[in-house]
Amino acid sequence: MKDQVAIIGVGCTKFGDQFDQSYEDLVVDAAHAAFADAGIQADRIDAAWLGTYSPFGGYGKASVSLADSLRLYGKPITRVENFCATGTDAFRNAAMGVASGMYDVALVLGAEKLKNRPGRGLSQEGEHPYQTDGLTAPGIFAMAANRYFHDFNVGRDALAKVAVKNHKNGSQNAKAHFQMEVSEEQCLKAPIVAWPFGLFDCCPTTDGAAAAIICRADMAKQFRDDYVLVKGLGLAVTSGRPWYDPNYEYVGFEATQHASKAAYKMAGVQDPVKEIDLAEVHDCFTWTEISNYEDLGFCKKGEGAHFIGEGRSALGGDMPVNTSGGLKSFGHPIGASGVRMIYEVVTQLRGQAGQRQIKSPELGLVHNLGGPGAVACVVVLGTP
Amino acid sequence: MIGITGYSVYIPRYRIQRDTIATAWGARSKPGAKIVCSFDEDSLTMAETAAWRLTAHRHQPDRLYFASTSSPFWQRSAASQIAAACDFSNSVATMDFGGSLRSGASALLAAFDSLKAQTAGSAIVVASDKRDGAPESQEELSFSDAACAIALGTENVIAEIVAVHSRSDDFMDEWRRDRDWFVQGQASKYSLARGYEDNVSAARRAVLERAGVSASDVATAKAPATLGDAGTATPLIALAHALANAQPGDLILCIAYGDGADALLLRVIQPGPPAEAPQAILDYPSYALYRKSREFLREASGGAEISNVLWKREERQNIRLHGSKCNICGTVQFPMTRVCVACRSSEKITEVALGRTGRVFTFTKDYLYDGPMQPTVMTVVDLDGGGRFLCQMADVHEREVRIGMPVELVLRRMREGAQTHHYYWKCRPAS
Repeated sequence: MKDQVAIIGVGCTKFGDQFDQSYEDLVVDAAHAAFADAGIQADRIDAAWLGTYSPFGGYGKASVSLADSLRLYGKPITRVENFCATGTDAFRNAAMGVASGMYDVALVLGAEKLKNRPGRGLSQEGEHPYQTDGLTAPGIFAMAANRYFHDFNVGRDALAKVAVKNHKNGSQNAKAHFQMEVSEEQCLKAPIVAWPFGLFDCCPTTDGAAAAIICRADMAKQFRDDYVLVKGLGLAVTSGRPWYDPNYEYVGFEATQHASKAAYKMAGVQDPVKEIDLAEVHDCFTWTEISNYEDLGFCKKGEGAHFIGEGRSALGGDMPVNTSGGLKSFGHPIGASGVRMIYEVVTQLRGQAGQRQIKSPELGLVHNLGGPGAVACVVVLGTP
Repeated sequence: MIGITGYSVYIPRYRIQRDTIATAWGARSKPGAKIVCSFDEDSLTMAETAAWRLTAHRHQPDRLYFASTSSPFWQRSAASQIAAACDFSNSVATMDFGGSLRSGASALLAAFDSLKAQTAGSAIVVASDKRDGAPESQEELSFSDAACAIALGTENVIAEIVAVHSRSDDFMDEWRRDRDWFVQGQASKYSLARGYEDNVSAARRAVLERAGVSASDVATAKAPATLGDAGTATPLIALAHALANAQPGDLILCIAYGDGADALLLRVIQPGPPAEAPQAILDYPSYALYRKSREFLREASGGAEISNVLWKREERQNIRLHGSKCNICGTVQFPMTRVCVACRSSEKITEVALGRTGRVFTFTKDYLYDGPMQPTVMTVVDLDGGGRFLCQMADVHEREVRIGMPVELVLRRMREGAQTHHYYWKCRPAS
């Protein structure tokens, strides 16, 4: 499937506490921006995939959240939900739909309206009534971080470095949820959310939407010259209840290891650090980014703290990670995040990232991780 | 010979200094500490832990009697729930006793009768109370929470039951109506003399007369002064302590007061084990936190609905703590499964009872979770005998939590449900 699908337009709303915007507003803004970017009208779309975790209140769980927002009726629309890997999995399915020859042009849209109430966190819909009582998203990843700290003798200072880097990148991004730099000291002194994570180790609860228009690669030139090609795709699912697996080492995520291997194979990537120019990875918590470096093969297991410590993932490093600010600073509207990462990599590959533009990138990576590290989706994108 | 074959005292880890309570109300200083259970405990959970420790790991008695004046259910047998959590089969006869502060001793008398009548060969009687005195009352200072399980049988008897006596006296000393949360009472010199002393001496006289023994030959079982007033559990705890400190041949008298009195006279056959294991103590730092721990489960609402379909289907797993074992690769696992988590075989999966002790594999201390006490400690536990379990940790100061620390599983009350109390397992530092 390599090089058979092209991205010809992307759009992204401002991410943040968008209290004045409804789900519909977010969907329309992201989709219309992507249509404008691709130079097309909505009726040019043959099919659409909607990535959303908690759909439009009152409108059910199906694809109608997209159909009604855009008045896009009579077209095949599929809703995808795969924990926090929802956005990239929607993209992956859309890409397969186009590559199959069934559709010429497709819309992928990830959207989430989490701030219809002022609080934070996600609902526990569909959970066992009491088996997992006491678990929160930060708690789930914190249990892995504590085991990792125990096994590799790493401490919270490594986490702070990730927060500092991603906030710095986000401060140069007008669409990010937070545009503020933070210091290591600030991170280390922040209130604890779930030990070892403090406030600045956790991504925020965010509203936002992002969209991409894809088409058959052989049609791409009809729309624009600086299109971006899908080079690799990988999805892997492991246990949604890793705490019950007696053999799980609890220091990383096999889903990411499997998904990245599949995507690298399809893209022909042998040495990711050498060949890939930038990566948007799933930093739901600072430690997750450290594990991602290892699980994506940027360094060996246990060496992620050195990877950030040596500045290799900084904007000027040899493998810039989360140039957008990441989930940490850009925000994390569940279903939107994966598509937003694609938006950032496309923007970088086109050379349109302004202050945070890295030097002439040709290959970029997108990585989404869902649930307790159970679902990982990796997308490799490149210039023609 | 029919007698006591074992006992197990359960004392919660938490304390509140009586001075902390007195200070909160601007009252005079009071000595000592009051024993209180954690926010997630009630008379049922304390009784379950006491009974489990006594059952030598799923060694099932013919009868399980639960006695309490504070059962968490008006209607639904706590004894049956305890039996399930102890993984007893449905052939155990369960009965709930209540109403009177002497109901623990009354249950002992009833169990003794059934052994004598040979309708049962063994019984466990567990008396447990979680007692709430009204704020600013004397009872708030004197009441405590505890449980005691006593096993009756005919083999390896620690103390033979020589004689029993029971008397009824409808004396208004302490009571609690169906609509009262707190105990009502008319404590006075009159109540002490006409209620307590009259009934206790009459029962003592009667049981000694029945056994043909003089008062100077017997020692009366007394609970430790530090226990406080643990309701129905108190006389049984007193008996356990007396047996732990007795010599063969000693005569021990156990008397329980309440709406009359029950008396048991025992002759010690062999020395018994210690009544309690020493344990670390956790102090409530403030009266406000202590009150919160008593109110939480009553105030919490909007918890998950429990369907009896799910409850029954998952009883073996969630309440009896059974898991699966793959007999191809040997992996023990939870929850119960059709396909092995390790080797993916589905050929030889069998049901196994999981161990209830283990070690912390990893943990977090979560301040985001909306628990009644911050932080909520979540743990992944590697169980002795195999299997890995996810649960909250109870009875611990967050500073104590470590990877590798030994823990035991205990039944606790989870977030309040919409229609019923939810019980599930937590771990706590091994005792």
